[in-house]
Amino acid sequence: MDPFKGQGGIQMLLIAEQEAQHIVSNAKDEAEREATEYRSHIEEEYQKSISENTGSSGSNVKRLEEETNAKIKNLKKSTSKVSSEVVDMLLKYVTNIKT
Amino acid sequence: MKDADVSRQIQQMIRFIRQEAEEKANEISVAAEEEFNIEKLQLLEAEKRKIRQEYERKAKQIDVRRKIEYSTQLNAARIKVLQAQDDAMGSMKDAAKKGLLRVSNDKKVYKKLLKDMIVQGLLRLREPSVLLRCRESDRKLVESLIEEAKKEYSEKASMQSPKISLDDRVYLPPPPKNGAVDSHEPYCSGGVVLASEDGKIVLENTLDARLDVIFRQKLPEACKEAPVRLNNITAI
Repeated sequence: MDPFKGQGGIQMLLIAEQEAQHIVSNAKDEAEREATEYRSHIEEEYQKSISENTGSSGSNVKRLEEETNAKIKNLKKSTSKVSSEVVDMLLKYVTNIKT
Repeated sequence: MKDADVSRQIQQMIRFIRQEAEEKANEISVAAEEEFNIEKLQLLEAEKRKIRQEYERKAKQIDVRRKIEYSTQLNAARIKVLQAQDDAMGSMKDAAKKGLLRVSNDKKVYKKLLKDMIVQGLLRLREPSVLLRCRESDRKLVESLIEEAKKEYSEKASMQSPKISLDDRVYLPPPPKNGAVDSHEPYCSGGVVLASEDGKIVLENTLDARLDVIFRQKLPEACKEAPVRLNNITAI
C-alpha cells in the first residue's frame, strides 16, 4: 500500500511531463489551423476589394470613354462651324499672289 | 501507541510527497500551457505576417496592372482625340483642294492667276534665262501669257526682258480626275514650275504647293484672326 502510493507520485510526474510534451507539440497544429482561418478571412476581404475596385475601374474606363467622345463631338462641332471660313481663308491666301 | 505514532508519521510523509508531486505536475502543466501559447503565438504571428505580405504583394500587382491598363487606355483616348483633330484638318484641306479646282476651272480668274504666278516666279528667281513647266492642258494659255508676263517683270524689276523656255517634253501632272483630290495618282490643280537655266534653282508656284505652304504657315496665323472659335480646335 505505501510503496504503491509512492510509485503513484512518480508516475504522476511522468504523466505530467509526457502530457506537457504533447501539449507543446500541439502548438504547431493549433497555429496552422488559426493561420488557415486567418488566410480565409484575408482572402475574403481581398476578393471583396477586388470586386469593388473592378466596378470602380469599369466606371473609370466608361468615364474616360465618355470624356473622349465628348471631346471629339465638341471638336467636330467646332470644326464644322469654322470649316467654311477656314477654307475660304486658305483659298484667299493661295490666290493672293503678290508680284 | 508507539506503532500508531510511527504509522501516522509515515502517512503524513506520504501525503507531503504526493502534494509535492501534484504541485510539480501542476507547475509542469502550467509551464507547458505557457510554452504552448508562446510557441503557438510565435508560429501564428510568423504565418500571419507571411500571409499579409503575400496579399499585399497581390494587391500591389493588381494596382500596378490597373494603373498600366488605365494609362494605356488614357493614351489610346488621347490618340483618338489627336486622330480626330488630324481628320478635321484633313477634311478642311480636302475642301480647300476642291476649292482650287473651282479656281482653275474659272477661265478668267485662272488666266490672271497664272500670269501673276509666272511674274512672281520671275521676280523671285531674277534669272536672265528661265525654264517654265506647266500642265499640258495649260500650254496654250501659258504661251499666250508669256510676253505679257515678261513685260510686267521687266517693268517691276527694272530688268531686261528674260528668256523663257517652255518645256514641251515634260509637263506637270494633269488636273485630278473627277475632282478626286484624295487620289494617290499625282495631280496638279494649276500653276507653273520655274527653274534657272542650269536647273539648280527650282521654284514651284503651283496652286497645290501654295496650299501646302499656306496650310502649314497660315493656319496658325488664321487661328489668331478668329481666336475664340478656332482656338477651340487647337486647345482640345
